[in-house]
Amino acid sequence: MDSDTDAGKAAFLDDLRSHVGSTGTPRTARDPVNLSTIRNWCDAMGEANPYFTDEQAAAASPHGGLVAPAATLNVWTMAGLHLGGPAPADPNEPRTAVYQKLNAGGFSSVVATNTELHFDRCLRPGDLLSDVTLLDDVSEEKATRLGTGHFVTTKVEFTDQHDEQVGSMLFRILKYTKPAPEPAAEEAPAAEPAPPKSKPRPRFNQDQAWFWEGLRNHELRIQRFTDDGSLVHPPANANPATQHMEYDWVVASGRGTLYSYTVAHHPQVPSFDYPHLVGIVELEEGVRIVSPIVGCTKEQLEIGMPLEVSFVDTHDDVTLHQFQPATPARAEVSLQSGDVGEGDRLPLCALPITPLLIVSTAIATRDFQEVHHDKAEAERRGSKDIFMNILTTNGIVARWIGDWAGNDVVFRNIKIGLGVPNYPGDIMTMSGSVAAVADDGTVTVGFIGRNSLGAHVTGTADVALPGSPAHAAMIEGGAR
Amino acid sequence: MSFASQTAIVGIGATEFSKNSGRTPMQLATEASIAACVDAGISPADIDGIVTFSAEKNTEIEVARNLGVRELTHFSQIPHGGGAACGVIGQAAMALYSGAAKYVLVYRAFNERSWHRFGQGVQDTHQSPEAFDVSFSWTSPFGLLTPAQWVAMFATRYMHEYGATTEDFGRVAVADRKHAATNPAAFFYEKPITLEDHQNSRWISEPLRLLDCCQESDGGQAFILTTMDRAADTAQPAAVIAAAAQGVSADQHVMRSYYRESISGLPEMGVVARQLWDASGLSPADIQTAVIYDHFTPLVLPQLEEFGFCARGEAKDFIAEGNIELGGGLPINTNGGQLGEAYIHGMNGVAEAVRQVRGTSVNPVDNVENVLVTAGSGVPTSGLILSKA
Repeated sequence: MDSDTDAGKAAFLDDLRSHVGSTGTPRTARDPVNLSTIRNWCDAMGEANPYFTDEQAAAASPHGGLVAPAATLNVWTMAGLHLGGPAPADPNEPRTAVYQKLNAGGFSSVVATNTELHFDRCLRPGDLLSDVTLLDDVSEEKATRLGTGHFVTTKVEFTDQHDEQVGSMLFRILKYTKPAPEPAAEEAPAAEPAPPKSKPRPRFNQDQAWFWEGLRNHELRIQRFTDDGSLVHPPANANPATQHMEYDWVVASGRGTLYSYTVAHHPQVPSFDYPHLVGIVELEEGVRIVSPIVGCTKEQLEIGMPLEVSFVDTHDDVTLHQFQPATPARAEVSLQSGDVGEGDRLPLCALPITPLLIVSTAIATRDFQEVHHDKAEAERRGSKDIFMNILTTNGIVARWIGDWAGNDVVFRNIKIGLGVPNYPGDIMTMSGSVAAVADDGTVTVGFIGRNSLGAHVTGTADVALPGSPAHAAMIEGGAR
Repeated sequence: MSFASQTAIVGIGATEFSKNSGRTPMQLATEASIAACVDAGISPADIDGIVTFSAEKNTEIEVARNLGVRELTHFSQIPHGGGAACGVIGQAAMALYSGAAKYVLVYRAFNERSWHRFGQGVQDTHQSPEAFDVSFSWTSPFGLLTPAQWVAMFATRYMHEYGATTEDFGRVAVADRKHAATNPAAFFYEKPITLEDHQNSRWISEPLRLLDCCQESDGGQAFILTTMDRAADTAQPAAVIAAAAQGVSADQHVMRSYYRESISGLPEMGVVARQLWDASGLSPADIQTAVIYDHFTPLVLPQLEEFGFCARGEAKDFIAEGNIELGGGLPINTNGGQLGEAYIHGMNGVAEAVRQVRGTSVNPVDNVENVLVTAGSGVPTSGLILSKA
């Protein structure tokens, strides 16, 4: 078959689409929905809703008992880890034949691009889930940022032990051809790459050494004169008010607000990424300090915004402070239907992406693909490092919305598209706003999670707040 | 201030202003100094005092040697870059009034464009453990490296507190470039800009755009000062130093005074303003035109406020009403300023003030009696008022 001609492409697509509508073998979870797994999931995600883990609080909640986080919908039927032997494979898996044909057609790379989780009711401990996968669609050939390929969409339906549907998931992947690397210029002498220029080093003497030692210990220290306890930054040799010369320091809480800022564009120094955001941060202790502002875009900078410190090693022997949007406090009182309107902004939430977060959330979501656990294996598969799995992205989105809306919020759906990966060492910052409020009280939140590479996730979530018909329906659906 | 109106600038001299002088800074210093002597109608050998910037690399002894100076009885230097521009005139005036010297040369010359680009900031410099170098450690490692970036912090806060916009900064650039357009000595002669041009120019360090920033220049500027009695025998009408003053305020840093209770004003310029009004007995209403230091447009606004030409936060309205352009209530920088004529660390602005007093500016303001000049903003600074004899 000549896949380069239109006729060839059409025939190829027809062949792929011949599998659309086929379904896999129904699969039942190895374990029912259970508190232990929920607790691990909440711990890893930073999910603090007590209705998931605290029986007393849950009993007094609209649910009348413990429920599982909505974003765990597709956790329970995951295959699990099978280090002792091959994972059980479904001979009827409807994607297998399509993938084989795509591989043969040169579309051998794969990336997950979208999930749409729909929730019919809240899951409860004891529910035993089954799922069945349906091949829903194979797209025509599309040119994408990654390369040319076909989107393959499956639909998974989840049912409980009474054979009643509890939710569904649309899952879309892209099978694509990586573009050929740019041919190297002929006969070009192999230029020695210039060593990356390191950031300007702090210069200090014995009068300020304690400050920089503090940063090495991940402490932001503020000079305190011992006579009147006054705090001074930058450090001085004598208390400006009294000329007293003895001082120690306090360790700053690391919380502050943005007092002023600039977005530097030119000139560009090789060791910084431009545009480079620098702020004057007013620490809650009262002094100000200059700091890079990370984990947000220049459009998100706002004088007065709450910030918190983190630390970054810039040289073998130098650690610097940086500030990022502060983690918003979780709502103590749940938002009620009517409290929110279209355009309401959700607070920024900057999430440091660490290897621990990626690995622990992958395990908590029962996803044991090596690319989320094993750096060497991730590199062998063309990734620069391990990266966050898609189930965790859903969990993080749900946690952030829950922190904003409070314990009583219930999710109707979460629809996300994935962009750049979340690699260790980066910061992903969630931002979003209320896109719509429907007549039944369904609140649609539009969101984007950005890291230093760009948009990791964009999407929407429909949630229901107490006091709305939508909320009542979800609670009723989950009642026994 | 006992030396008020006791001394005068009697000679001005400059090289051309360019992006590449093709000559050494020492050559520029020598040429400008000789030109100032010719303008004053004195022999270089009469010079017995020299005051310059501590940033000046052409030492006074080499300049003195080139000029055939026989004896120097006063020589001093003022620190902190452009903040010295009026301080050097004030130091010369004090030396003359005290009798320490009879004819004082003041000069500044550099190839700040073709040799060392000042706007590149402090990326690789300041690596000694001395206090001055250490002071950069509170900003440089974090990527705050250039004068434009330092100034941007003040500009953002000023906008936040007073509702100013980048258009308000742009109007300063438009006025300067309008004045430069009719000044043949200006870098941007016959090149006016519109507010739209300003808004379309690229970001340098937000909220500063390219057209908010002066361009580094090559050039030299010199002055001859003497006492009022000797001034009567020189070739030009005297530009009388009605007052000159320097200023530093509490918790002062060099362009990075971010730690004061408020950073939307320039308290060190307030220190200068109070002294100038007190010493001269003048008030804002007595000033017909001013040279307001304009290395970056945003800091022009708080200077107008510190001197009382308008209330705090209202400079944007004062400017929008057209006051700072020729024909307005207080035309500023009639040579084009440092944004339009050249960036000679404020010294070319002092020369324009002398020309306004003499009536020889290419953009003369009517009925000039007193001209205000300010020096570098955001740094330890200075100011002066020149008046007709």
